[in-house]
Amino acid sequence: MERPHTVLRVSLHHPAPGPTAFTHVPPRLQHDTSPLLVGRGPDAHLRLQLPHLSRRHLSLEPYLEKGGALLTFNLKALSRKGCVWVNGLTLRFLEQVPLSAVNRVAFSGVQMVVHVDGGTSLEAFVCFFHLSPSPLIYRLQAEETEEWEGILQEQPPPGPGP
Amino acid sequence: MSSFEDADTEETLTCLQMTVYHPGHQRNGIFQSKGFFTREKLPSSEVVKFGRNSICQYTFQDKQASRVQFSLHIFKKFNSSVLSFEIKNMSKKTSLIVDNQELGYLNKMDLPPKCMVKFGDYQFLIEKEDGESLEFFEIQFILSTRSLLQENNWLPHKPIPECGNYLFCSTQSNSPMEMGENEC
Repeated sequence: MERPHTVLRVSLHHPAPGPTAFTHVPPRLQHDTSPLLVGRGPDAHLRLQLPHLSRRHLSLEPYLEKGGALLTFNLKALSRKGCVWVNGLTLRFLEQVPLSAVNRVAFSGVQMVVHVDGGTSLEAFVCFFHLSPSPLIYRLQAEETEEWEGILQEQPPPGPGP
Repeated sequence: MSSFEDADTEETLTCLQMTVYHPGHQRNGIFQSKGFFTREKLPSSEVVKFGRNSICQYTFQDKQASRVQFSLHIFKKFNSSVLSFEIKNMSKKTSLIVDNQELGYLNKMDLPPKCMVKFGDYQFLIEKEDGESLEFFEIQFILSTRSLLQENNWLPHKPIPECGNYLFCSTQSNSPMEMGENEC
C-alpha cells in the first residue's frame, strides 16, 4: 500500500508581483527527497520571476530526525546578497533552521506561509501552492515603542486535499 | 600596473581531506573516477553526493554501492564565520556510521572536525581544515591501501547502546537574534 506523502501547503503573496511573477508556480508539485530550490533561476524547482530574487534564494531540505517517522524540513538561505526571514529569525547566506508545523517566511518582498502536514512516505513530498491577493503576514508598529509586533493569520491556506 | 598587487585579497578555503579505503579498490578500481584524483574547489551552496550513480560528484565503481550513498550539506552556524558540514545517509539499504553514531536513511548529523565514516566495507577518515571563504571550499582525497581502522587505532570510544538511543546533534550551536522581516 502506498504511504501518504508529506504535504506542504504553501501560500504566496507579493504586494506588487508584476504580470509574470508567479507564472511558473504550479498548483501542485511532487518532489523527491533532494532539497527543493526556490529562486529566479532556471534550475529552481519553485521559480518566481522577481528581479530582486536570487537565482537560488532558499532551499527546503527534507530529512528524518533520528527515531522519527515523518519528514522534517530545513530551510536554508542560499542568497549571498539577500536574506530570508523565518518565524522571526533572519537567515543570511547558508544559515538554516528547521521548519515547524506552521511557518511564516519573507524574502525579497515575497510573503510565504508554509503548513507542513506529515506523511509517512520517504520517497517524495507534495507541495500545494496558493497565490494570495492579500498579505499573509501582518505587522503593526507599537505606539509606545519602535518594536515590531506580528499579527498572524490563523486560518490555514485553502487548498485541495492530498 | 601589476595585476597581482591590485587583485582582491584571496580568501583561504575550508578543506575537507578525505582518506578513503576499500579492500576491493586495488582489484576493482572502486575509486577510479576522476574526482578522487583532483583537488576540487566547490561552491558551498552545492550538495555533494557520493554514490554509484553518475549524478554524484564522486562515484564508486561498485555495484554494491547505493546509487546515492551519502551526501554532504554545507551550512553556516549562527554567529560563526566558518563553514560547517552535515552528512546525510541517502541509502535505504546501508546504515552510515559516523564515529559511534549510526545514521539510517535520511538521517543526518553535523560532521565533526575529524571523524571516521563507515558503510559496508568503505572507510572514510574525514578531517576539516577551516578557511575564510563562505562561497567555496575544497575536497581532497588520499587513497589508502591499508585499513584506516588499523592505521589510526580508530576504535569506538563508547559501546553502541542496546536501546539505540543515540544523541542527535543539533545543527545550530547558537540562537540567532530576532529581527523584523522587513530586513529581508
